[in-house]
Amino acid sequence: MDALLTTTGLFKRFGGVVAASGVSLSLRPGEIRGLIGPNGAGKTTLVNLITGIYGPSGGDIRFRGESLVGLAPHQIARRGLLRSFQVCRLFGNLSVAENLLVADLARGAHAFAETRQRAARARELLDITNLARLADQPAKALSGGQRALLQVACGFMVPELRCYVLDEPFAGINPVIKDAIVELIRQANEQRGIAFLIVSHEMPVMRRLCHGVSVLMDGHIVSEGTLDEVAAHPQVIAAYLGKSWA
Amino acid sequence: MIFTWQLFAQTVIAGVSIGVLYALMALGITFIYSIVRMINWAMGEFYMIGSYLQYLLVVYLFGPGLWYVALPLSALAVFLIGTVIEPILIKPMFGAAIERKDDYATVVTIALLLLLRNLATGLAGPYQRTPGSNLPTIMLGPLPQSGARFAAFVCGLAAIALFYLLLKKTWFGMALRAAAQSRLGVQTAGVDVLRLDQAAFGIGVALAGIAGALLAPVFFVFPTDGIVTTVKGFEIIVIGGLGSIPGALVGGILLGLVESLGAAFISSPYQNVYGFLLVLLILVIRPSGLFGERARLA
Amino acid sequence: MRRTIQALAALSLISAAGAPAYAAEPVVIGLEIPLSPPGDPAAGQLIRRGADLAVQYVNTVMKGVLGGRPIAVDVEDTQGRDEAGVAGYRRLVSEDHAVGVTGFFHSSVNIAVNEVAKELGVATIGTQTSAADITAKHYEVAFRTHAIDPIRVAAFIDFARKKGFKRISVVAETTDYGIGIANEMTKQNEEKNAGLTLQQITFDHATTDLTPQLLQVQAFKPDLVINVGVGQPLDLMIDQAATLGLLPKTPMLVSYDAPVRPQYWQLHPKDGAGIYFVAYYSPSQQLSPLGQWFAKAYQAKYGEPPVYSALNGFGDVAILAQAVDQAKSTDPKAVVKALETGTFKSWAATSVTFPAASGPYWHNWSPPLLILEYTAPNQSWRDAPVIITHTGTAS
Repeated sequence: MDALLTTTGLFKRFGGVVAASGVSLSLRPGEIRGLIGPNGAGKTTLVNLITGIYGPSGGDIRFRGESLVGLAPHQIARRGLLRSFQVCRLFGNLSVAENLLVADLARGAHAFAETRQRAARARELLDITNLARLADQPAKALSGGQRALLQVACGFMVPELRCYVLDEPFAGINPVIKDAIVELIRQANEQRGIAFLIVSHEMPVMRRLCHGVSVLMDGHIVSEGTLDEVAAHPQVIAAYLGKSWA
Repeated sequence: MIFTWQLFAQTVIAGVSIGVLYALMALGITFIYSIVRMINWAMGEFYMIGSYLQYLLVVYLFGPGLWYVALPLSALAVFLIGTVIEPILIKPMFGAAIERKDDYATVVTIALLLLLRNLATGLAGPYQRTPGSNLPTIMLGPLPQSGARFAAFVCGLAAIALFYLLLKKTWFGMALRAAAQSRLGVQTAGVDVLRLDQAAFGIGVALAGIAGALLAPVFFVFPTDGIVTTVKGFEIIVIGGLGSIPGALVGGILLGLVESLGAAFISSPYQNVYGFLLVLLILVIRPSGLFGERARLA
Repeated sequence: MRRTIQALAALSLISAAGAPAYAAEPVVIGLEIPLSPPGDPAAGQLIRRGADLAVQYVNTVMKGVLGGRPIAVDVEDTQGRDEAGVAGYRRLVSEDHAVGVTGFFHSSVNIAVNEVAKELGVATIGTQTSAADITAKHYEVAFRTHAIDPIRVAAFIDFARKKGFKRISVVAETTDYGIGIANEMTKQNEEKNAGLTLQQITFDHATTDLTPQLLQVQAFKPDLVINVGVGQPLDLMIDQAATLGLLPKTPMLVSYDAPVRPQYWQLHPKDGAGIYFVAYYSPSQQLSPLGQWFAKAYQAKYGEPPVYSALNGFGDVAILAQAVDQAKSTDPKAVVKALETGTFKSWAATSVTFPAASGPYWHNWSPPLLILEYTAPNQSWRDAPVIITHTGTAS
């Protein structure tokens, strides 16, 4: 099967610092891929490169056969490649329901005509996430976990979503909400065939969720496979020495 | 100093009515800042363009009786001018080459201010003009108001209300409010922020343009007629809070009241100082303004 | 710019019928006027019109100076800014060898230039600058031909006496000009025992809403309001007083000649009547032979009668030309001496002298001051009745 998202020899330099030195990564349609690596390995840089926040210094990114290099973030989003942020970027003064609707802006003005469908989708997501009773509260009133949940849910508002890049969606979140997010991801993957690239340190969750993981160290991929396979890799062991690998 | 309760009531009404007109100016500045993250120092020059357009339309096309036909046309023209200027002057600010975005915006808009002001002087001369008004004087309680000023007051309130509805009730308004919270957030949600900037800049300067058109028969039309209203606009923003629409309205009315009452009952020559004192007081007790907090719009 | 004017001056000589061809180099008179913002270019242009006609007058009617040398006017744009004015003065003196410099419209420019002039020694004549300091510093080189505050206020008090006004509100902007007039009003009221009850209200020049001040005025119930605003506040005060019903019930006196400008009736089509205003010239006034020549030439050239700025621009260039003749020299020091001691003809019926008098009257000649009244909407200022003619002295 053809790859959905491929990066080849992706390179990014900030002044003298090399944050990505030849990252090559490939994602199949419908795949859930974990991206792990020690702090400072360049995980968030890679996410920012893929979603157009940074332009690469070299290399290529292709999504559904088309190069994304040089496209603005909103253009990439409109092609069905969305992302979430490690530091939660909700619209604090907008209500919870409005936050879901904003995500749908990607579809442009014509979506305006489908008010009823949009509202139905939003209601459905509010029910799934258990946020329905908070729908009219400003998003800044939510707890940290609820915010993370809402942020992940926002992407599912977009019918055209094909690939969802989640940057640390589980960091510092209680187990109940963690499960809710996992459930949300799994459902979207099974029912809609959406592919995921998930950056996380949470190994138990990654084990439950991901078909495979890639390990990023010092700006490039050092190992790929199942979590157990990569855990056996000498470089990975060296890097994570002393850490528990549940 | 003469004091009677009648005089007090008249002075209060005068303050409120001028305050609403000031608020219209602050609204444009606050709105552009919220979206584009820049202070447009040339705001007063868009007020000036609005006032000249209204003058030209009323004097050469419609006559003073049809000022309300000229008003939306003036506002629309200022909007279009704004959307033409934005991609040329403001948009480069977000390119990678510009490191100090605030400095860039300041330099560019001040240059624009000088250009527009000198252009106006060159084209129209330094004279004062007025489109004139046929509206009769109206009693606002115990205070007579000129018809043109009352019309500006009513239309100013209507413009603020319409703008509020646009933000609250439309798809586009939601995109604008979201952009005010997080530029990156809406961008990754698929919104072209640079196009949004262009529209927001156009709408913001059009608000100033409406103020200019409305006040053309009240404060006259001349190349530097926007200066005072811009200064008031910035004062109101500090009082009401940057990015807050109710803040702009309440700040405007407060400023109008403080100035009028101070001028009438404390000491007249310091009329413009009372506003600054209020600004200083607000900065001490509530630095983000009465309704202000970081990055809000509504 | 300067070259063109010299060329024009030369051309006017050649074209003048029967005028002998002058081989001599022209005697240069400097003109420092605002021709661009933030100055007042409208005023600058009017002064320049007058000065250009003075060149024509001197070179044709007077047959030049010093027994046949033509004069020329070199123009510098002050932009209403002190620095530009000072730089222009230096150029006029060092490059163009001007025998004297006139045309000044903005007081601050005139004051700044005088500080340099007292070193360089070339005379300045203030054409329409009213601040006391221009002459009150008693500089050798500083002269002026414009009405100063005490004279203006003396005319106001004459006017109040004649009309029987007792309670007067003076509403003045907080500029040198406005405060000067307001304080002088209080001073002369006491000195002359004029018996006026004064309300003094001052306001910032940048104020757009004068309603609070005018409500105070209304509560004072004055017989007369004196409007000491310049530019926008002057016009705002007229409009807002009319809205409150102060005008036309309570008459208003405008402190300078703004209402003679064509914009006045455009700005106040409904509220302009019943206003009194100061003017320095009215066509009903007797002019000197010089003034009559000018009025005719101006009418022919511009299709309208002259206004004060043009008359005074004309007069000041003519005075400098006469001073050169009386000094029998183009030496600036001799010209200064001649100005101080000589008697000159200008546009007004009275002749001009610059006595070394006390205070701001030093080297100062004031044109007669008129107070006119608009009696009907859209009235031409030329038809406005003259209520009083003040001689141009403070007594």
